[in-house]
Amino acid sequence: MDHVSATERIVRGGLITLVLIFFLFPIFWILLMSFQTNETILRIPPSLFFEPTLANYTALLTGQLKTTAGNLDILFMRNLGNSVLLSTCAVLLSLLLGVPAAYAFARFRFRLGENIAFTLLSFRFAPPLLVLLPLSLYFKQMHLTDSYVGLIWVYQLICLPLILWIVRGYFEDISPDIEHAYRIAGHSWRQTFIRIAIPLARPGIAAAGLLAFIFAWNNFVFALILASASKQPVTVGALAFVTASGIQYGQIAAAIVLSVTPTLLLALYAQRYLVEGLSLGAVKG
Amino acid sequence: MSSAADVPVARPVRSRIMRRALPYVLSLPALLICIGILVPFFTAAYYSMMRYRLNLPMLKGFIWFDNYIAFLSDATFWHTVTISLVYAGLTVGLELVLGLGIALLLQKPTRFHNAASILLLLPLMTAPALAALMWKLMTNPNFGVLSYLVSLLGVTDFKWASDPSSALFTVTLVDIWVYTPFMMILLLAGLRSLPKQPFEAAALDGVPRSFVFFRITLPMLMPYIITASLFRLLDSIQQFDIIYSMTQGGPGDTLLVFQVRSYLEFFQYTNVGRSAAILMVLWAITYFLSNIFIKQWLKLRERTRGLA
Amino acid sequence: MYDKEKDLFAAFAAKKMSRREMLDRAGRLGLSLGAAAVLLNAAATRALAADFDWQKFKGTKLKLLLNKHPYADAMIADLENFKTLTGMDVSYDVFPEDVYFDKVTAALSSSSSEYDAFMTGAYMTWTYGPAGWIEDLNGYLKDASKTNPNHNWDDVLPGLRASTAWNGVPGAELGSADAKQWCVPWGYELNNISYNRGLFDKVGVQPPKNLEDMVGVAAKLTKDAGGPYGIGVRGSRSWATIHPGFLSGYSNYGQRDFTVTDGKLKAAMNTAESKAYHKLWVQMIQDSGPKNWATYTWYQVGTDLGAGASAMIFDADILGYFMNGGDNKEKGHIGYAPFAANPAAKAPTPNVWIWSLALSSFSAQKDAAWYFIQWATSTEHDMFGARKMDFVNPVRQSVWKDQEFRDRIAKSYPGYLEQHDLSAPGAKIYFTAQPLFFDLTTQWAETLQKMVAKQVPVDEGLDQLAANIDKQLKDAGLG
Repeated sequence: MDHVSATERIVRGGLITLVLIFFLFPIFWILLMSFQTNETILRIPPSLFFEPTLANYTALLTGQLKTTAGNLDILFMRNLGNSVLLSTCAVLLSLLLGVPAAYAFARFRFRLGENIAFTLLSFRFAPPLLVLLPLSLYFKQMHLTDSYVGLIWVYQLICLPLILWIVRGYFEDISPDIEHAYRIAGHSWRQTFIRIAIPLARPGIAAAGLLAFIFAWNNFVFALILASASKQPVTVGALAFVTASGIQYGQIAAAIVLSVTPTLLLALYAQRYLVEGLSLGAVKG
Repeated sequence: MSSAADVPVARPVRSRIMRRALPYVLSLPALLICIGILVPFFTAAYYSMMRYRLNLPMLKGFIWFDNYIAFLSDATFWHTVTISLVYAGLTVGLELVLGLGIALLLQKPTRFHNAASILLLLPLMTAPALAALMWKLMTNPNFGVLSYLVSLLGVTDFKWASDPSSALFTVTLVDIWVYTPFMMILLLAGLRSLPKQPFEAAALDGVPRSFVFFRITLPMLMPYIITASLFRLLDSIQQFDIIYSMTQGGPGDTLLVFQVRSYLEFFQYTNVGRSAAILMVLWAITYFLSNIFIKQWLKLRERTRGLA
Repeated sequence: MYDKEKDLFAAFAAKKMSRREMLDRAGRLGLSLGAAAVLLNAAATRALAADFDWQKFKGTKLKLLLNKHPYADAMIADLENFKTLTGMDVSYDVFPEDVYFDKVTAALSSSSSEYDAFMTGAYMTWTYGPAGWIEDLNGYLKDASKTNPNHNWDDVLPGLRASTAWNGVPGAELGSADAKQWCVPWGYELNNISYNRGLFDKVGVQPPKNLEDMVGVAAKLTKDAGGPYGIGVRGSRSWATIHPGFLSGYSNYGQRDFTVTDGKLKAAMNTAESKAYHKLWVQMIQDSGPKNWATYTWYQVGTDLGAGASAMIFDADILGYFMNGGDNKEKGHIGYAPFAANPAAKAPTPNVWIWSLALSSFSAQKDAAWYFIQWATSTEHDMFGARKMDFVNPVRQSVWKDQEFRDRIAKSYPGYLEQHDLSAPGAKIYFTAQPLFFDLTTQWAETLQKMVAKQVPVDEGLDQLAANIDKQLKDAGLG
């Protein structure tokens, strides 16, 4: 498709710009807010010009907020650490369990196969609120309350179905021919799986892993109900700036910027897998 | 298409059994890890069949399906069903169209397109609860930058989320802002992994682009579309954060979707029985809709397998 | 702690030297005012220790569940003194207010023994109490062996003591003789007018004297103030919309949410006077209220006042207090006035929110937790919070009489003391205690939203609401 007319290029460019503006303007605005205090954020009418200050970031990073009432301790960096730990472990576990399962559903027709697959999907149907109260009761009996292990286990409900069904789609799309050729050459299914199937499905695995990470990161209701204050993730930490003496918009904005950063870094790293597409286009018939 | 198991190579019996067991070995750990959730689920189902209010413990009792029967004659219940389905339909539909459009725009893997696709993930990375908080500020009539921009266009009295007529529009807008990137990234990855031959052949034959899109691209992309839409549907029909942060289910009872209603019933009114019953209805609707999607998906896969 | 400082403060606590002398010497010893305050309270605390065995539960570990709030901040700043006084170790979990009560409900409904004591409001105890999750604190307050003699329970404002006690019978008066004390008041807020003095002077109006006056003043401000709207009140779909200014004005007319006959409740929002009140209120919002009223919570009402987007608010006095400081644009410009909506009323009858401390029934060390509660609600701690930190409003009469506290407030918050002193006698909870409080009050707010959005006329809306509520009461066996 190299005969793209000039008008088309302009239209395309224009549309992409509009899209970028719509989605990125609020992010840009939040970034601006993170360098302001409430005094300049809450101006009528809002304005692009202000005196920037690093006070919000300093407060979050050092954990000390200077207010008229004295120095307050902020747990935000701790919350950030919790989020990183929980999301990473949850996604790694989900990948470990989900990718082989996806392969099984894609490659093998076995009895109960579709049933198992659908059951795994159906765990996503249960609204979190439905199971939260009974879950907290059972967690208490199993001594899993307020534990990272318990939370990572519960997070599987969010991550596993997603990874499973997305990666399954990719495995299904890869023609089995290369794998057959590899097997006939004498390699075991495990080597085929690791050396051929996974690399070919890398874009799907990267996309699924990244999305699962994002959803685990954004979830806070499980940690809120099942864990104590020291294990709360970043969203709860940001809500702490909604106080009786006023919503500290500057700090919430800074908190959002800081909480988006790890995920953004992960996305940049996974980017090269995401954009690969099917290598060489040589396989599908 | 034959599976790997049908390759005619002589194998000993033990290995044949292992081959049969292999898919189970691969998929059962995932199942077993999650199976535990069935216990709380059945407990919740049990609660839904009770009159169970935490601050009226003397009235606690098993009433079978009375909670559900009471819903049938409850106007607010039907409103909840309607508004939840409308919300889910609107958001998934619009995000699908938008996500597909953006994916098509960014299809060619240039560095600019790749960078744009990653940046476009930023709204998704913002926790919906915090995103709603920021949108609430941006649509504030006094300090909100969006209200300001809209007023420059001459619309001065737009009530955003606080008027029944515009509340649905506002929360749908926020939802689209947060979740379209989800669709976009899945469809983009799907587009990029489509084989090149059919397109090259079509180009050689001089086939018009709309034909290529509707007859070649779209059908091949359909499985990805179904998967992405399904997950978005599951999330959208269970939406809580955005709607609760912006309007708590109001104004009036305009946006009282399932999870908002259930949250209020449990956490504020401590009515465990009714809260569980509402969510069981939601679960049933979700089960039913997902079944349709999955059946469609499997049918497409069968067809592809048959053709290839 | 250093000995020289200790002796200095001990001498002051024993009233052996004047305050100025003490501060002088403290300064010379190099102590900042903040540090001096805490050390001084330590001395007062030690003086408190004299008559009572505070060390009885030495070594116990307590865990508290707290809301992110200035009251909690003030207590945490003073916590070291408690630890020294009792030899106990105290840890605490702080959750943001948005999710705080979700956490409390989840913890208590799963019978978690993790938290021994926690912050709560009175309305929540109407659920927690009957559910069996919190202890009746009368058993502790009336027991001389468990409560220190200086605790002075009667020093707490009578309206607040009554409002946090209920005998569990739906419709019964709060604070009756057989009422259970579900929680101990810690800090409270009553509802009056906080206004922007600058804007009022500019437009040339005075704080309104009654509801009709308020509608007029608000309209004038909206017209002439050049941008800001007249009056900020809450409007979100929540019980918290009915609870502040709305119910305070409503009660001033003698109106109630329910009438109780023979123990049966009946909705009372559709009386003629109630309808008239609603009409005025709705009109006020439509003409001079915030544009996005239906999404307005405590935060938006306060933010608008603090940023100069509204001319006055009819909400918690402490909200106006906070908006007069911090990094708000209008800091220093806020004034305070008492408000009685009914022209025929003699004094305001503000509804109140009382942050209180409750004792979990699932705690493994209730007696020790009671030690914490009585210390946190003691006169010493109240005084410390009121004088040195932003602990408003204190619940004790002695603190309100304290000259240092009064001077501090009078200096920066003109009218605040007067509005409080005038309103305190009539300040209590005007809702009827019943188990369906949250359900029905939220529906009331929902109806209010529909009326403001002109989806239903006031009379019809209230009649429908009353009919709906009566049906639910009947289903629950209350009506």
